[in-house]
Amino acid sequence: MPSPFHSASFEQLALPLLPSLYSHAFWLSRNHADAEDLVQEAISKALRAFDSFQSGTNFKAWIFRILRNTFLTSRTGIAASRTVFLEDRSDLPDTIDANPTPEEHLIRLDNQAAINRALDDLHPDLREVLLLCDVEELKYKDIALVLDVPIGTVMSRISRARRTLHQQLKLQLGESL
Amino acid sequence: MTQPQVNGHLRQDQISAFIDGELSHSEATEIQQHLADCHSCALRVLSATQLKTATARAAQRFSAPPEALARLTAQLRPQEPKKTARIYSFRSVAWAAMAAALVLAASLIGWRQTRQANTLSAELLDHHLATLSSGASPEVISTDRHTVKPWFQGKLPFSFNLPDALPADTTLKGGDLAYLNGQPAALLLFTIHKHEVSVFLTQRSASPMVTVLPGTQSGFAIRHATTHELRIIAVSDVNPADLEVLVSALVEAQTPR
Ligand SMILES: [Zn+2]
Repeated sequence: MPSPFHSASFEQLALPLLPSLYSHAFWLSRNHADAEDLVQEAISKALRAFDSFQSGTNFKAWIFRILRNTFLTSRTGIAASRTVFLEDRSDLPDTIDANPTPEEHLIRLDNQAAINRALDDLHPDLREVLLLCDVEELKYKDIALVLDVPIGTVMSRISRARRTLHQQLKLQLGESL
Repeated sequence: MTQPQVNGHLRQDQISAFIDGELSHSEATEIQQHLADCHSCALRVLSATQLKTATARAAQRFSAPPEALARLTAQLRPQEPKKTARIYSFRSVAWAAMAAALVLAASLIGWRQTRQANTLSAELLDHHLATLSSGASPEVISTDRHTVKPWFQGKLPFSFNLPDALPADTTLKGGDLAYLNGQPAALLLFTIHKHEVSVFLTQRSASPMVTVLPGTQSGFAIRHATTHELRIIAVSDVNPADLEVLVSALVEAQTPR
C-alpha cells in the first residue's frame, strides 16, 4: 500500500509530533531539561536517517524508536538501566480468580491524585509500554517496533502494567468502594 | 488470542487487547458475546476502559512548556534543502484518499493537543472521526428505528426512544456500542444533508463529570442536551442549527407521552 505521506517532508511529519515526543521524553527522563535535549537529539538523528525511513510504515513509531534509543544511550538512560531488569514472564499463566466478583474489579477512579501516584510508582518498563498504548495510541505491532521486542511481550507487559496499577490503586484506596 | 478462556471468563490480556482495539472482527465478536451474558466480565471491561482513560489523563500532566516547543519547532523549520521521502507512483484515485488521510491526521493532532483542556470533546471527535475514517459499517445497519432500538436492548444499562419522525433530510444510518468518558454509550449514526452525524447517548446518573463542551471546535459542532435519564451529545460538521434540531427531536422523543 502506498504511503499517505507521499513526498511529505520530514518537517511536515515531525512537527505535529513534537508535543508527544516531548512528553514521552519527559516520562523517560523525568526532567524538563533532559526531555528537551532528548527530543532535540532524536530529531537530528531522525533527520539524518530519514533516507532509511520506509515510506508506508509508521513514522510515529519510527521516530519514537529513535527517541527511545537516544534516551537509552544518554546519561540518565544509562543510569536508569541499572535499575532492576524486568523479567517478561509471559510464560506464566495469567492469574485470574475462579469467579471474579464485581467488587474485585471496580475501583474508584475518580481519585486522580491516587492514579497519578500509581503511575509514577510503576516500573519504568511497564509505564513506558502503557504510555505508548494509552497515551500515544500506538498499535501493539508499532509498540513492538519502538521497544524492539516481540508483540507477545508487548501484550504481556501491557496486561501486567494494568494489573499492577489496579492492585496499587486498590492498596492506596482501600478495598471499600 | 483464541486460546480457551480461563474458567470460562475472559483473560486479562484478552480484555486488554479488546479495549485496545487489537482483536480481529471475529475475536471481538466472540468477546462481545461473552460480555452480553457475563456481568462480571462486562464490569471488568468497563473498569479496564476507565483505567485506560485515567492513565492517559495522569500521563498528560506533563506537557511541553511553550518555550521548549518553540525552540524545537525552530530546530525543525529551516531545513535546506528539504529532504523528502521516497517517491512512488500511484493512480490519481489514491490521491484523494491520501489528502483525506492527511486532513484527518491533522485534525486529530489538533484535537489531541486540546485534550487536556477538554478530554471529553476530544474523545467525542476521535470517535466521530474514527467512524468517518474507518469506513467500517456500524454494528447494526438500518434506517428503521424499530430495528435499531431493540438491537441495543440488554447491551446497555439504560434504554432510550427514537423519534417517530426525523427532521427534514435527516436519515438514521445505524448504531453501535461505544465507550465514552469511560461509560457505555449508544452511538447512533445519522446523516443531515449528507453530513455524517454521531450521536452518543449515555446514562445521566452515571456521569461522574460533566465537562463543559465547546459549541464548535475545528469546524465540528458539538451539541449537548440532558433529559431526566440521559445525556445526549451530537457531533458533526453540519451547520450547528441543523444539529440542534436533531438533538431537540431526540430530547423530545424521551418525554413520556
Ligand atoms: Zn465472564
